[in-house]
Amino acid sequence: MSPKTDTFGGRQAQSSDLVQGTLEMLILKTLELEPMHGYGVGLRIEQISGGVFRVNPGSLLPALSRMERAGNVTSAWQATENHRRAKYYSLTARGRKALCTETEKWQLRIGAIAQILEA
Amino acid sequence: MQWLDNLTNGIRALLQPGRVERDLDEELDSFLTDSIEHKVRSGMPEKAARREALVEMGSRNSVKHQVWSSRWESMLDSLLQDARISMRGLLRSPGYTAVALLSLALGIGGNTAIFTLINQVLLRPLPVRHPEQLMAFANSESAGIAGGIDPGQIGGYFPWDMAKQFEADPGPFQGIAAYGSFSDTASLRLTGHADGSTDGQAFLAPVNLVSGNYFSVLGADALLGRTILPADDAAPGSGAVAVLSYHFWHESLASDRNIIGKTMTINGTPFEVIGVMREGFHGIKQDIAPPDVWTPISMQAQVLQFPSMLIPHSGLYFLHLFGRLTQSAVTNKADFLHSQNWLDNRVRDAIREREGGPLSTERQQEIGRETVPLVPAGRGISMIRSEYGDSLKILMGVVALVLLIACANLSNFLLARAARRRQETMTRLALGSSAMRIVRQSLVEAFLLSMSGGMLGLAVAFAATRALIGFVSQGDSYIAMQSVPDLKVLAFTLITSLLAGLLFGLAPAIGAARTGVHGSIGSNVRTALSGGGRRVNFWPKSLVSAQVAVSLLLLVLAGLFLRTLRNLQNQDYGFERTHLLLAQTSERLAGYAPHQLPALHQQLLQRLSAIPGVRSVALAQMPPISNGTWSSNISLSGYTPGPNENLGSDLNRVSGAYFETAGIPILAGRGFTEADNANNLKVAVVNETLARHFFPHGDALGKMLTIDMDSVRGPWQIVGIAKDTRTGSPRDTDPVTMTYIPLAQIAPYLPVPAGSSARAATSGLDENQNCYANTLLLRTTGDPGQAIGALRSAVASIDPNLPLLQITTIREQVSNLISHDELVTTLSSLFSSLALLLAALGLYGVMSYNVARRNSEIGIRLALGAGTATVVGMILRESLLLLGVGLALGVPLALLSTRLVKDQMFGLNPVDPFTFSLAVLVLAGTTLFAGWLPARRAAKVDPMQALRCD
Repeated sequence: MSPKTDTFGGRQAQSSDLVQGTLEMLILKTLELEPMHGYGVGLRIEQISGGVFRVNPGSLLPALSRMERAGNVTSAWQATENHRRAKYYSLTARGRKALCTETEKWQLRIGAIAQILEA
Repeated sequence: MQWLDNLTNGIRALLQPGRVERDLDEELDSFLTDSIEHKVRSGMPEKAARREALVEMGSRNSVKHQVWSSRWESMLDSLLQDARISMRGLLRSPGYTAVALLSLALGIGGNTAIFTLINQVLLRPLPVRHPEQLMAFANSESAGIAGGIDPGQIGGYFPWDMAKQFEADPGPFQGIAAYGSFSDTASLRLTGHADGSTDGQAFLAPVNLVSGNYFSVLGADALLGRTILPADDAAPGSGAVAVLSYHFWHESLASDRNIIGKTMTINGTPFEVIGVMREGFHGIKQDIAPPDVWTPISMQAQVLQFPSMLIPHSGLYFLHLFGRLTQSAVTNKADFLHSQNWLDNRVRDAIREREGGPLSTERQQEIGRETVPLVPAGRGISMIRSEYGDSLKILMGVVALVLLIACANLSNFLLARAARRRQETMTRLALGSSAMRIVRQSLVEAFLLSMSGGMLGLAVAFAATRALIGFVSQGDSYIAMQSVPDLKVLAFTLITSLLAGLLFGLAPAIGAARTGVHGSIGSNVRTALSGGGRRVNFWPKSLVSAQVAVSLLLLVLAGLFLRTLRNLQNQDYGFERTHLLLAQTSERLAGYAPHQLPALHQQLLQRLSAIPGVRSVALAQMPPISNGTWSSNISLSGYTPGPNENLGSDLNRVSGAYFETAGIPILAGRGFTEADNANNLKVAVVNETLARHFFPHGDALGKMLTIDMDSVRGPWQIVGIAKDTRTGSPRDTDPVTMTYIPLAQIAPYLPVPAGSSARAATSGLDENQNCYANTLLLRTTGDPGQAIGALRSAVASIDPNLPLLQITTIREQVSNLISHDELVTTLSSLFSSLALLLAALGLYGVMSYNVARRNSEIGIRLALGAGTATVVGMILRESLLLLGVGLALGVPLALLSTRLVKDQMFGLNPVDPFTFSLAVLVLAGTTLFAGWLPARRAAKVDPMQALRCD
């Protein structure tokens, strides 16, 4: 398979399969290490998931805006490594707490689903 | 504080839409650049990378819209957008919008105006601590001095000594206080200066006597200074202190903060001003003209200029009482009953003590049954409430129905608009607009209308309330009611407007949402409009039928009230109701002692009869008809009363030409003449009812009559029988016994009692207070109103200090007594006319719309040879059907509802066939006319044009 079709398939997967809350959790996890700009977040999610999740700006930016309004992330314009201006998002204390509770919930849920599937 | 940040960020975004846009653009640009760079780095050619990145991003605007939609302010923004669209739409059809707003303004305004009055008259609690604990002892609405009754029995009057006992020992109550049942107008003059010189201006103001604990039991504090304390009211004749109302202090004393401690004379006696009450405090009694000054009861003789009533066993009942319950008695029924029983027992003890001696078992039982009911007084004691309360409730119902009719019209108006916009709506839905958004816009439009209508309604209500209060006050310069809406009224208007908006916005909104389900964009305008047939028409038609039904109810109500008022006005009053002028005066207030009165009366009669255009003049204690009465028990020679027989008779003292002047026919014997003076035999005239009751064989003339009152005891020889007259409420048709005695034969001094007391010995002879005549009557040849000026100058030429308190024609006097009937009649006629107009407009609107909708159908019919008459008939038949359904609903509705106002009727049954048939006729005529106009237009449709369009 060429990389091109791979990408295409990934894009199809994200829009329908990624539940809104899950996307926000993934963004929180991504931002846990360091502040990032929008494209960086999307790229990181794609890379770590091995190309399974590809998030396009139409989902990513509203999610970031929502999270910013909820107080889980803050944003600031900063210079990038290529000396351009980009909006960097970073996790707030509230966001860190949200990540913890979301992760716990997620674990609980997939644990339960796994049990059902194994039964 | 997260929500606060969210809020401020949102507001900032709303205020600076450009910045938000720039920010997003920049972020997207940087996103795109990053994406391209990344793709180039991973080996893609530059051009392909750019295309790929652009494809991934999709529509820039869509992304921006999604980001914007994720924030709360987008909701507000789109609401504002909806409002702007609706506003443009409404302005595009200014005629419809104006009619819609006007009917809403009148509907909501009417509701607000009536509610303003209901709020003040029926709902508002007294501005005191825990008003719910206050209880009046019996119904205390009436005012006056009573005698010969049991305490608290008729009108809730108590004598001074009993009030003092209750004050000292309130039993289970927190406190019991007393106040004078009436507020007499007194002459006030500010003196303030140390040398005693006056500050000039004198005021006439109502003064109320109150017990020392009145303010503390009532739970009211002073704004300045202090209130009256028990120490002020300790002994008769002491405690010359006065507390002023805020209104008097503000209006007459220019809010002078140094007024405390100054001296003010009340009817000539100096009083120290000790306090000013808070704004809105009028005492426990909510009279039309509330008291401006409160003084201790101990100063009764000085304030009322009336011999002291502060004597044990005086037999004079002039105080009302109220108590403050404990909180447990308010919440707990047993505790409340305990308080009630305690009060009853105290009253019964007092009656037994007063009667003294051994009582018959029959009387013992009678006393044991007496009770003084505790009446909740947390909203004050108000004559206006009992007089106008029912009227206001009826009117509230009427205006609510009018608003419903207006809402039905608006609903139809919006439905028609929505139908016309079907094509647009369907296009929007097809382009991806959500049904929710369409419904929302429809509701926004409705609320925009209802809120603007409500705003206009407030203005209407303010003007209307002013007029209504003016009507209720009957010319009193100051009354304790305001037309300025308070918070409760504003909330009422807001809620009414919202409900109205919801009511008329809901059907169109649902219709709009349904379009989404059933609509198809393929159909052209003609099929879109005339298709859907029955379902599309169901709402407008049922609304019109409902309007017809409700209008019928309102018309019937108005008709019933109109007939009632006519019956009240046209009944036989027993006296002439034209060409008679009445003037109220107060000889006592002008300083006349009883022995000076014969000369004054002589002068008045002479001077007034000299006025050109005056046929005859008379003086009397009471006008022929009024709210007040002067009455007593009487006894007659040769008549043995049965056990427990009511021997009471209304009394009036009159001058010579009274019967000619008032226009009361003498049926037998003679009226009074100049010769009936102090030197001749005492004579009396009685009315038919009295003569018939006591002398059924027609031999009343020549009999002797004795009045059970020392000052006018008699005996009086009956020399004439006068026709019965209505003396009080025009609704009161029970015949009243009436005795007239000549003013000139009442002795100015009281007879000295046999065992003459020490008081009479020191002060010489007691003056007879029953010599005053407070009413001037003038029979004129022309319009009585024209004699007012001459009357004023004639009275002033005799004594400029003699006040003319109120001058009315007899017509006004009668109409004042049926003012609440006039109010209900006028307003219900007004509102039912409005309802009729709105219903006609509604029918016209729906039928016009139908004709426009069926334009092409009618065109085809005409083209195929249908005659004009057929087309007119077709359209009229539809109107007739609506009218028929409306009447079928309306007649039973009216039959059921009018039973509720049975007590308000006079001289007719609420199921009055005449009124019902007239209402049906008027309604049918109006609606048919409204339906005929569009029918005529239908007949004028040009077939060629109708078929050619679209």
